[in-house]
Amino acid sequence: MKKSHTFYIGVFVSLAYSGVASALSFETLPEPPMDLVVIDTPDDAGNSVELDWALSGTDIFNPLIENASDTDPSTIVATYSIERKVSDAIGSELDESDLNWQKVSEAGAGESHWTDRTVERGWTYDYRICSVDNQGDSSTWCNGEPVTPVMQIFNMSKAWLAIFMLIFGGFIAYFINQARAGKPLWVRKIAGLEAIDEAVGRATEMGRPVLFVAGIQDINEIQTLAGLTVLSRVAKTAAEYGAQIEVPTCRSLVMAAARETVEAAYLSAGAPDAYQPDKIHYLTDEQFAFVAGVTGYMVREEPAACIYMGGFYAESLILAETGNHIGAIQVAGTAMPSQLPFFVASCDYTLIGEEFFAASAYLSGDPLQIGSLKGQDYGKFFSVLILVIGIFFASIISLSDSEDGLAVDSLNYINNNMLGSEGLGSFGGGDTDIEGDDS
Amino acid sequence: MAHAYTPGLKVTNRMKHSVVRMLPIKGDVMVKVGDSVVADQIVAATYMPGDVYPLNMANLLAVPPKDVLSLMICKEGQKVEKGEAVAETAGIFGKFKKKYNSPYAGTIETVSDVTGQVILRGPDIPVEVKAYVTGTVTDVNPEIGCTVESDVAFIQGIFGIGGETCGTIKFAVKASDEILTASSITQDMKGCVVIGGARITDDSIEEARKVGAVALVGGGMDDQDLKEFLGYDLGVAITGSEKKGITVIVTEGFGDIAMANRTFDLLKRFEGHEASVNGATQIRAGVMRPEIIIPIDSGASEVEIEYEGGYLEIGKSLRIIRDPYFGIIGTVKALPSEPHVLGSGSKARVLEVELKTGESVIVPRANVELIEE
Amino acid sequence: MTIDLENISVILATDCGSTTTKAILIEKIDGQYRQTYRGEAPTTVEKPFANVTIGVTNAVTEISELAGRKLTNEDGTINQPAQGDDGCDLYISTSSAGGGLQMMVAGVIAEMTAASAKRAALGAGAIVMDVISTNDKRRPHEQIQRIRELRPDMILISGGTDGGTTEKVVQLAELIAPAKPQPRFGSEYEMPIIFAGNKMAASEVESTLQEDWIDLAIVENLRPKLEQENLGPARDKIHDVFLEHVMAHAPGYDMLMDWSDAPIMPTPGAVGDILQTIAKKENINVVGVDIGGATTDVFSVFEGTFNRTVSANLGMSYSISNVCAEATMPNVLRWVHFDMDERQLRNRVKNKMIRPTTIPQSLESLIFEQAVAREALRLAYKQHKEFATTLKGVQQQRTVGDTFSQQTGGNTIVNNMTLNLLVASGGVLSHAPSMNQTAMMLVDAFEPEGCTDLAKDSIFMMPHLGVLSAVHPEAAAQVFERDCLVYLGTCIAAKGLGKLGKPCFSWTLSGDVNASGTCNFGDLECIDMAPDQTATILCEPARGFDLGAGNGKKVSHEVRGGTVGLIIDGRGRPLGLPEDRQQCQMSMKTWVENMALYEEIDVAVATA
Repeated sequence: MKKSHTFYIGVFVSLAYSGVASALSFETLPEPPMDLVVIDTPDDAGNSVELDWALSGTDIFNPLIENASDTDPSTIVATYSIERKVSDAIGSELDESDLNWQKVSEAGAGESHWTDRTVERGWTYDYRICSVDNQGDSSTWCNGEPVTPVMQIFNMSKAWLAIFMLIFGGFIAYFINQARAGKPLWVRKIAGLEAIDEAVGRATEMGRPVLFVAGIQDINEIQTLAGLTVLSRVAKTAAEYGAQIEVPTCRSLVMAAARETVEAAYLSAGAPDAYQPDKIHYLTDEQFAFVAGVTGYMVREEPAACIYMGGFYAESLILAETGNHIGAIQVAGTAMPSQLPFFVASCDYTLIGEEFFAASAYLSGDPLQIGSLKGQDYGKFFSVLILVIGIFFASIISLSDSEDGLAVDSLNYINNNMLGSEGLGSFGGGDTDIEGDDS
Repeated sequence: MAHAYTPGLKVTNRMKHSVVRMLPIKGDVMVKVGDSVVADQIVAATYMPGDVYPLNMANLLAVPPKDVLSLMICKEGQKVEKGEAVAETAGIFGKFKKKYNSPYAGTIETVSDVTGQVILRGPDIPVEVKAYVTGTVTDVNPEIGCTVESDVAFIQGIFGIGGETCGTIKFAVKASDEILTASSITQDMKGCVVIGGARITDDSIEEARKVGAVALVGGGMDDQDLKEFLGYDLGVAITGSEKKGITVIVTEGFGDIAMANRTFDLLKRFEGHEASVNGATQIRAGVMRPEIIIPIDSGASEVEIEYEGGYLEIGKSLRIIRDPYFGIIGTVKALPSEPHVLGSGSKARVLEVELKTGESVIVPRANVELIEE
Repeated sequence: MTIDLENISVILATDCGSTTTKAILIEKIDGQYRQTYRGEAPTTVEKPFANVTIGVTNAVTEISELAGRKLTNEDGTINQPAQGDDGCDLYISTSSAGGGLQMMVAGVIAEMTAASAKRAALGAGAIVMDVISTNDKRRPHEQIQRIRELRPDMILISGGTDGGTTEKVVQLAELIAPAKPQPRFGSEYEMPIIFAGNKMAASEVESTLQEDWIDLAIVENLRPKLEQENLGPARDKIHDVFLEHVMAHAPGYDMLMDWSDAPIMPTPGAVGDILQTIAKKENINVVGVDIGGATTDVFSVFEGTFNRTVSANLGMSYSISNVCAEATMPNVLRWVHFDMDERQLRNRVKNKMIRPTTIPQSLESLIFEQAVAREALRLAYKQHKEFATTLKGVQQQRTVGDTFSQQTGGNTIVNNMTLNLLVASGGVLSHAPSMNQTAMMLVDAFEPEGCTDLAKDSIFMMPHLGVLSAVHPEAAAQVFERDCLVYLGTCIAAKGLGKLGKPCFSWTLSGDVNASGTCNFGDLECIDMAPDQTATILCEPARGFDLGAGNGKKVSHEVRGGTVGLIIDGRGRPLGLPEDRQQCQMSMKTWVENMALYEEIDVAVATA
């Protein structure tokens, strides 16, 4: 309602104005742009200046003109010409010509903004702008206030980001300290990881190997790394129980990393002599050739426990179904959303997405990792809280249909200041509209 | 079924007592058969390897294991004191360094750059076995231990805390029903076995420990005081290994209860004598009771008077050993044969007890024990 | 020996406990077996008698006098078979004298074969001193040291599925051989070792344990597959070895074995047997408890699976102080509806510990002792729940629906909702002055849910019947039903929590007793129902409460009466008492009044 109202008033004013202008002038010159506002770009290094102006009355893109086709064709604005001169400068690099008006840019019709990125920090500039029609006739100049670009040390538009960073970092630092001080931090039980002992135990009792597949991705993928962390735990348990572990890999680099991991695990379990590097071997880079190799091994050797941790694609169900068929306890973990249902249905236990990445903290019990896990959780909780508050206000607004008040102010603040780029600003000062809060 | 239950505590003025003294691991036995030994004489000794404390330095400092070796302030083989810094992180620009102080004293045995583990071994623990009781060595088991035999007056308590010790018997009270308070403990009780009458109080234990008494013997004590003394709530009655600096023995039970006259008198007779005391107690099958052993001159021709529990008969002295009359002494007035309904609602065989006040009460037969007045 | 079951009409059974020997006589009256007389005498295993049969003869003589039936011969032996009015047809016995059967068990993985081995040993009535496994975090030399220190009567080794690991099992044997544990019965004793592991490893284990001090027996694997437990053969072998070796070294047992017509069983094993027999016959889930002075035994049969646990330091005399320390005083005192001086109570507890045979004289001390019993039972049941689990190391079947609700294996199989019968025995429970007290101790400690029958073992004859069930199941079942169990009544309790005073469930009782009412949350009431009365109760739980059919779903149960009656418990599960001491006392007071727990006694005190 508000918008259309303003629009009508605007049209009325502009029509009245254009009427006066055409009555006084008999030449067919374009009308000049108005209200040139020149400001130093906020929150920058002091090397740009922002220019804003109101469109000319004979600019057919000007939304204030009610009927663009009524405009005299000879006065239609083609471009805007912007000129600049230096009125005060420090330093020696000043060119003489800079002290005179010089054209620095041309903006197309309909444009009302331009950023000058060629300014020197600390100099003072004057700007002026005129409109030019297709015949090359220029209008009168519109002058702006002089401006001196300076550098801001802090980008205040990102103030909230800094606050969030501090809060999140604070959580993490706090919990790491808590963990280091020996405070037990509660981490939800992850059934899949608890089950590793059970799976390895089964293999020990049955005198069969434990099969571990770290996905088919290369070592640079985060899922593969997460998988190797779990491998370290599996290998350690296997070393303690005296079970044999078999790790076929799809990438040569993964094999090298897996060997290191397993060897370290055996060492820390106090059984370095039981480590057999040959059991950790490279098969092939080819996806299905690898799957054929692994399933073939499964059918022949019938491992009692199969553990899949890493990035998987189409092979997930082939591996898991084969494992199920041979009666193994299977534990899978992947962050591939499309493969999760297959693993869930055919494995005994599955680590889902985030659980999989949290596994390393969960397993190591290292204060640094547990603390940061806990800190991140609180950070996530905090973000969700802001989200919920935003949804709450947005719901109130849409239900009550009100256009101002505390709810609108709060939502605007969250939207524009906390999540947007208006910095700390002032509460209730935001004047932008209230759409799209679901960011 | 006229049996009165007595916990079978032995209180005797004379008996032959032998005690086996053994080392936990092989070592040197310093006496031979026929030697006369005194209570605090060392009869066997050895060294036990110290305790091992693994410290996962990589985790403690939050550094990779391979860096541990370079961050160690103390190197392998070096002795460290408790609280001494053994390792330090590199920090950031030489600032924010974090030190790790050793929680134990000992020697750094190994530092592993594979696991980040530092093995700290505590100092060798000298193990010395004393004779405990003054007497004669009658048997020697080479490298392991010996047997010491002697003529003693022997008193078993019902419950004790703390291990073996010995000292001179000294009385802090005048009567067997006098409560032992801190004010009765005097400076000259250092190294003595202090005898109280009835209840031992918390502050008297504290005071006795302060003046350096080796043991405290009394009729009873409050469990609350015991809890405060031990620092935890005693669950299973297996004691003897507490390291409290003083051995405490109660002869009758918990709460306000006077020491049996017989025990009190026997101790009184031996005031000034050396006594060996052990608080170790185990209440289970294979019971172990705390003991007070007073070696006596083997020449003395005193005959052993052993006290027998006997049967419940009218006129006999007894003590009630269960609330609501706990600790009260009286005599058997009547022994009705019919079971009687108790206040609790259960039926049991009872007896009528005449108290010293002249009042008479009904008590289940299970809740009394005969005593000698 | 073959026994003609048809012609048996007089059965004599004894149980040689560590302090008393109890004898019962069972006679066939009008075609039904009934327990008729009982006798008791001190056990005579220790010096100066050192012959268990003297106590047996004394106890049996007492029955002879009572029954007017000559059951012993001049030389003290049992008069068999029955001739006219003298003698008996069958004599059986159990024993827990001399500390019972002490065992050490070993398995490969603590949660798998070693747990199964422990179950087998406990089920056979043994006390398990320690469990050795490859993953018990002890290094081999520590394990050897531990085996050395223990003085077991018997060792059970398991490990590996059939065709599974051989290496690990042989490693266990290699630990035991050099450790050479010292038996309690002196160096002459051949240590019996039972191997019930991977059958493929048997020959190698045999060659490892080829020592002259070892008597090795090999039986079927008790875990042939991880999915399957086969405890029977191992348990039977434990019984055999118990008789051959352990009993043979106890004074007088050789004679007792001669007299007995069936193998002598360890007492707890026999109790387990009778509960299993009953559970199978009636197709019900049973929990039994025996609370003693030093230990508490809990037995359970759920869906046909039997479990037994012994809580070594939970008891009412030697261990009473430990119950208070483990449960903490405030937890004990929440069951007491008036103020008690904690300082005084502490002394009383310790005095009971050092003088275990005293009995409570005043009502106050009885109430306190029953409060301690509740905590002891609660803790023992908690331990039992943790031990009685499904098998570990078993493959799980999943659907996509399980994505967010995956649970590990090895969950407890104890489910209070499906529990049908709760049987109590042991001094504090069976000698409580009023049956209402026994019933409330059971309800408060075990927190049964849904519909549960409560019963107590009248004179602790479950051990006798356990042996009898092996010989004559019919007679055992008849006596169990008619004479052994005293039905206290039925407990109807809703699972769930609500607001105090808000409706919990409404009920309608029809049958021998007709009544109806609404039970509010926090209410506890008792409806009189005689032991021979039965009725159907229709319950309509409010939302959030479950009485067996699911949350808020209507359900009907058959209930039977008893000396206590029908207990309607709306206090919710898990049972939580108010934290505030004053409020807690108020609630307890209402419950005590509603259940008439200590009322009659107040009258008795007034008249005494």
